[in-house]
Amino acid sequence: MSNILKREAVFAVTGLVTVLMFVEYFFFPQDWIVASTIRNWAVIIYNISLGLGGVRLIQQHVMGTQRRKENWQFSALFLVAFVVMLLTGLAGYLGTGVATSNGIYNWLFVNVYTPLGSTAYAITGFYIFSAAYRAFRARNLDAALMLVAGCFVILSNAPVGEVIWSGIPAIGEWFRFVGQVPGMRAFEVVGALGMIAYGFRALLGKERGFYAGGAEE
Amino acid sequence: MTFILLILTFAVMYYYMYLGKHGKVFKIRTLPAIQAIPEAVGRSAEMGQPVMWTPGIAGSLNDSTQGPQTLAAISILEYVAEEAVKAGVKIAAICPLPDALPLVEETMRTAYMSQGKPEEFNIDSIRFLSGQSAYMTGTLGYLQRERPASTILVGGFYYEAVIIAEGGNTIGAMQIGGTNNIHQMPFLVATCDYMLLAEELYAAGAAISANPDMLGSIKGEDMIKWLIVVLICVGFLLGAARITFLADLLRV
Amino acid sequence: MSDQNIFDKLQNIDRRVFYWVLFITLMVPFIYPIGLPVKVVQNTRDLYEGITGDNINPGDIAIMNFGYGVSAWSECAPGFTVCAKALFREGARIVFMGSQYDVELSMNKLMNDAREDFANKVYGVDYVFLGYFTGGESAIAQLATDAWTVYPSDHYVTPDAQIPLMQDFHGWQDVTVVLSSDTGDVGSYFLRQWQGSHGTRLAEIGIAMNGSTDYPYYLAGNYFGLSIGSRGGAELEVLIREPGEATTAMDSINASHLLIVLAVILANVGYLLSRRKA
Repeated sequence: MSNILKREAVFAVTGLVTVLMFVEYFFFPQDWIVASTIRNWAVIIYNISLGLGGVRLIQQHVMGTQRRKENWQFSALFLVAFVVMLLTGLAGYLGTGVATSNGIYNWLFVNVYTPLGSTAYAITGFYIFSAAYRAFRARNLDAALMLVAGCFVILSNAPVGEVIWSGIPAIGEWFRFVGQVPGMRAFEVVGALGMIAYGFRALLGKERGFYAGGAEE
Repeated sequence: MTFILLILTFAVMYYYMYLGKHGKVFKIRTLPAIQAIPEAVGRSAEMGQPVMWTPGIAGSLNDSTQGPQTLAAISILEYVAEEAVKAGVKIAAICPLPDALPLVEETMRTAYMSQGKPEEFNIDSIRFLSGQSAYMTGTLGYLQRERPASTILVGGFYYEAVIIAEGGNTIGAMQIGGTNNIHQMPFLVATCDYMLLAEELYAAGAAISANPDMLGSIKGEDMIKWLIVVLICVGFLLGAARITFLADLLRV
Repeated sequence: MSDQNIFDKLQNIDRRVFYWVLFITLMVPFIYPIGLPVKVVQNTRDLYEGITGDNINPGDIAIMNFGYGVSAWSECAPGFTVCAKALFREGARIVFMGSQYDVELSMNKLMNDAREDFANKVYGVDYVFLGYFTGGESAIAQLATDAWTVYPSDHYVTPDAQIPLMQDFHGWQDVTVVLSSDTGDVGSYFLRQWQGSHGTRLAEIGIAMNGSTDYPYYLAGNYFGLSIGSRGGAELEVLIREPGEATTAMDSINASHLLIVLAVILANVGYLLSRRKA
């Protein structure tokens, strides 16, 4: 298929699906079989892409292991882990329909994957701490005001703020629930408008990312 | 009412795109973050280090608010890749989204082809890291090992934004960030040298191409913003007078 | 050896020192609890009142979405547990579902933390666990129109036709309230596809990072209630009068928040004094 035809086909499918979903969203309060089918297909395509990602991972790490690239041992370890989780999960799934019914899969998931994920999330606190220490400097009046407001908000989120001074929760909550709300709303509105404009340009074939570099100039 | 406003938005944008295509010149303000991309690539060339691009894990194409961010990030990737190929700099694309992976591959391949160097494209420069924790720690590992001179963090991010950006800061990389996720904006602003906030991320494609009709769509978007400002002001005054017909109408 | 003075040093303390100080600061309250009282804010109170009393009738169906994984248990699980308990005590029937692949772990934790409430309930009649779904917003939109196509069976592979609760749940029209607890955007999917399209009552039990983003939706009435982070979980535990994990964690939150403010003040003292000296 030529590149031009590929692009035209993408235009056509995107445009058709967009119009159908618009019509369903605005004019059909109940289920519409056409839109429902499209949504089911969207879910199916997304799930296929998960498989695509899995295949890509295997390709990447098999090549790395075969060619003995730098740190190939980790690629080999990944492949072992992948195969073990896949086989044990499948064994559980084929046996009872639930992957975690397999003891080995469950043990690895609960005792290896879960603590690793929790640790990764916990790192966030430390990094936020170092980012705040490094970046929050009162370089000018605006920054100083933001810093003061930030301190009030942080202390109002913790009961200790009230212990330090009874006014901290009131001021901090004002910043959180009144002061910053107009700014948040403004961001939401302009962000949404930007998204609508981007979607419109994409529908007209102007945006590059949508057509993987093959956009109309 | 929402439908009418949406159609009006499209009509206004199309009108200005039409004007742009037929000769009217629209100027948008400069986006420092986009202007900094050649500087970032140049820095990488001088230091002999790669450029890293990553779009964040939030932007599954299945998501109506996050997907467009990933697509906008891919538009920026094409520009970055073209600049990198021109300068002879390696580019590493770390993508955690399986549904965006084919787009990333095709975009990079096209960028190399457009610069006349298709043979230099290496599929290994695109790394897929699935799962948020794996993506975050894998990217941190890449930053520590390869020490890219510049990082481009644009797209839909969740909490990995602060970790990846701070990791980039630790190695002294020049960082360009951009997201429409309000909850991650403060972290990227604090850790990046340049930033695309909210709609600037979506306007980046237009700013890069400087296409007259794309600039026209941004002009149309600005006109709609004015309309919204007028509606807010009128609504505020009517609300103060306890007249609610406008608020009721817009809820329809 | 650098010629940095004390003010420059204050601005440039090695981050590893801070990591150790933060780690110790977070650990100490677990050994020596402080136990400061937690004040309940209006958005959390609205959430609790929205799922109790006259707002929920026996037999009403509630959807509770596990949009968080094990990494966010400390922020979301306590509030989620309180809401599940509150709904069960009102006689509501709950459909549990999740967008994270470790949702089964979260469900097991919930069943353990609220075991007394679950002990009185019959699976398939009073509650059902549908498990993990993929497909993002498309799936949530489809759930509103035809739930059985998204979940043809529950997590234990029992077909919907054999589950009494699922006989009464086909789409948005059968659901009284949706509670979404997430670290990402699943709450906003429900906002657009359920609350915005069909007017279903929706509340969010979110992480602290998303609080400022979610708050405008609460003010606009899209969310009838909002619980923000661990603090929100602690407030919900106050409202239900059962202190739990979030209340325990508040001491660490006190310590860490105080430390971050002190660190920022220290850095700015160094910065301002070094500028003055220059």
